[in-house]
Order: sequence, then C-alpha cells, then structure tokens
Amino acid sequence: MKIKVFAALKDYFDKDFLLEEDLKTIADLKAHLAKQQPKASALLNLCRFAVHDEFVALSHLIHENDEISVIPPSSGG
Amino acid sequence: MKMMKSALFPQVAEVDIAPLSATDLDLVQLLSLAHDPKAGAVVLFSGEVRDNSAGKTVDYLDYEAHESMASKMICSIVEEAAKRWHLTKALAQHRTGKVMAGESAVVVITCSPHRKEAYAANRYIIDRIKHEAPIWKCEYFTDGTKEWGGNCSCQKLLAMPINTFMNLRVSFFFLIS
Repeated sequence: MKIKVFAALKDYFDKDFLLEEDLKTIADLKAHLAKQQPKASALLNLCRFAVHDEFVALSHLIHENDEISVIPPSSGG
Repeated sequence: MKMMKSALFPQVAEVDIAPLSATDLDLVQLLSLAHDPKAGAVVLFSGEVRDNSAGKTVDYLDYEAHESMASKMICSIVEEAAKRWHLTKALAQHRTGKVMAGESAVVVITCSPHRKEAYAANRYIIDRIKHEAPIWKCEYFTDGTKEWGGNCSCQKLLAMPINTFMNLRVSFFFLIS
C-alpha cells in the first residue's frame, strides 16, 4: 500500500512511502504508524483516513494496492 | 476562467473556476465573474493573512492541500449552498503555497436576489471550507520559527477556534435591480 501524509505529519514521516506490512484495517495502519513514531500518536488520533480520495472508517479493510491519505485536522482559511 | 451554468439546476450557477489557486487571488476579477442581473445582493468574503498570531509577528503562511480531495470538496460545498439558498451565482477559491500578511488566502462570493440568502450561504460555505477541506496552513514568523496551524499542540488546537489565525474581512455590495 502507498501512504501519503500531509502538513505536520511530514515532521514525522516521509510525505509518501510504501508499506509492505500485513495490515488488515485502517485501525491497524494507524497503530503501526503510531508505533513507528510515538511522538506523532496524538496527532494521528486526530487524523482522518482516505482511500483513493474517499474518507473511510477505521474498520475499512485495506487492499494491497490502496493509496491511503492520512489527513490531519483542517487548518485552511 | 469561464462561467458555466449547471444544466441540471438552471436556477443556480456555480461559477466554473479552479477551487484552488497557486497564485494571487484576483478579487476584482472574481467579483466581475459573479455579477448577475438576477442578483440584488453580492456578498464577497476574503479571508486574509493577519500579521500576528499568538503574540508573534507573522511573515507569511504556506498553505498545503490534498489537492484532488480539497478541490472536489470545495465544489461540492458551493454546489450544495447554491441549491439550498437558491443562489444566482456562487464561487469559492482557496490559495495554496506562500501567502504574505495582508494577502487573500480564500475568497467566497455568493449572489442572490436579496441579501439574507447571500450572507447565510456565504458564511455556510466559508465555515465548511475552513473546518472540512483538507487544507493546512503553516505559519512562518519573522523570528525564523514556524508552526503548523492545528498541529501537534493538540490542546491548543482544540482550545482555539481556527479563525483566530485570520483577519476576517467582509465586504458587501448591494445591487438594486
């Protein structure tokens, strides 16, 4: 799966990267990212996740070729 | 840029412009696109970069967007508001990249026969864009430090309304038809 992160998350992760781990759901992905970068876990808890540009729930099942965006809280305007 | 009326909703006209812009927002040109003989009221909101934040002097902001999602979301918010308030024209455009203090970061223009609907729709559109569209600001201060708006200082994020970062300027124009 391909992961894209934005804004403050880029202080902790590359802006996009590939993950080979066997992660079944978005919740698993979130836990995996928090384990990799414990300092980002508070921010990850506020993030929404999108697969192919559509927001998905934490229970969403990940497919091998999914492109997953990790979306921090908006701060536009 | 061109104007296009929706075939499905002939009473409504989302102005067909790019919802994101990497260059200066041209408020005068955008306003000229929005004029409509059916509209007695045109409300223009410009969210502009304030030169101070949390006691520090702001040099500029840098806006990042998830471009495909943010574009789709802005279009859908404008379309929904146009239908709900029976606007004659509506548009919204948000900056990406570096925006200096005093420059416009986002503009929303709503037009309706009377002012009540244009004001209500305008506020609805800007509130939803600010809270929901995947767009982020990073503040760069004159002391060389930077800070993501709504970043890891989560308590601060939750305690402070997002619009405290902005100088909100509303201009309005009444056109009596």
